[in-house]
Amino acid sequence: MAIKTRNFNVARQQASTNIELIWWVFMRVSGVLLVFLVLGHIYMNNILISNTSIDFDYVASRFSQPLYKVYDLVMLVLAMLHGTNGLRYIIDDYVHHDGWRNIVKYALYFVVAVLITTGTMLLFSFPFNKVGG
Amino acid sequence: MYRGREGQWAFYLHRITGVAILLYLLVHVGELTAAMFGSKYSNAILHFFHQPLFQLGLLTVIGAVLYHALNGLRILIMDFTSWGTRLQNKLWYGVLILFALLYVPTVIKILPEIFGGGGH
Repeated sequence: MAIKTRNFNVARQQASTNIELIWWVFMRVSGVLLVFLVLGHIYMNNILISNTSIDFDYVASRFSQPLYKVYDLVMLVLAMLHGTNGLRYIIDDYVHHDGWRNIVKYALYFVVAVLITTGTMLLFSFPFNKVGG
Repeated sequence: MYRGREGQWAFYLHRITGVAILLYLLVHVGELTAAMFGSKYSNAILHFFHQPLFQLGLLTVIGAVLYHALNGLRILIMDFTSWGTRLQNKLWYGVLILFALLYVPTVIKILPEIFGGGGH
């Protein structure tokens, strides 16, 4: 059961399990990091340049730089886990039938696991030293 | 404090924008995965998503991220300060004002690119 509260001490009392409390903390820690990572990502790819100018060469040159590999990998994992856990709270609230709730949740976990995997493979399928187009 | 007032709108908007961002994220990672298979497939898919309809969707998602980020910071203030919950409705108006200040220039920058042809 999701924790619905306003501070850590009450969260600790309300938490049904230690895992649930860890997720409560994770949402806040990853949330702060994602504010900077995602807004930075949007700024770089939509404000500094036009999004419609993005092509394979641009993608390849970014993914070839070690700094962006780390940046994008951290952002990928944090955003996927933050989003999945958030949607898990929503599923708990709206899907009341036990069987369906589990089916929906595990379908979500499966899709996210596949995309974290392919996303990571994508980042490391480019060389580390390529600079420029 | 809650039902039908600022707090509830803040909460629902946080959920709706969160789901929208996650759905976008799933498509976004899937779309970029094509880059593993070379420039031919990658460029075809990137070009497909440069259509105005998808670019307008992207502009909306950027707005969703902006709201979700700012309201997320409001939640942190409520969680970790003694005064945050008491001022939550005022904080929400702060979120909306900051959102407008950041999103209006973003729209002004991006909207002409969508219909002006941008990079293509």
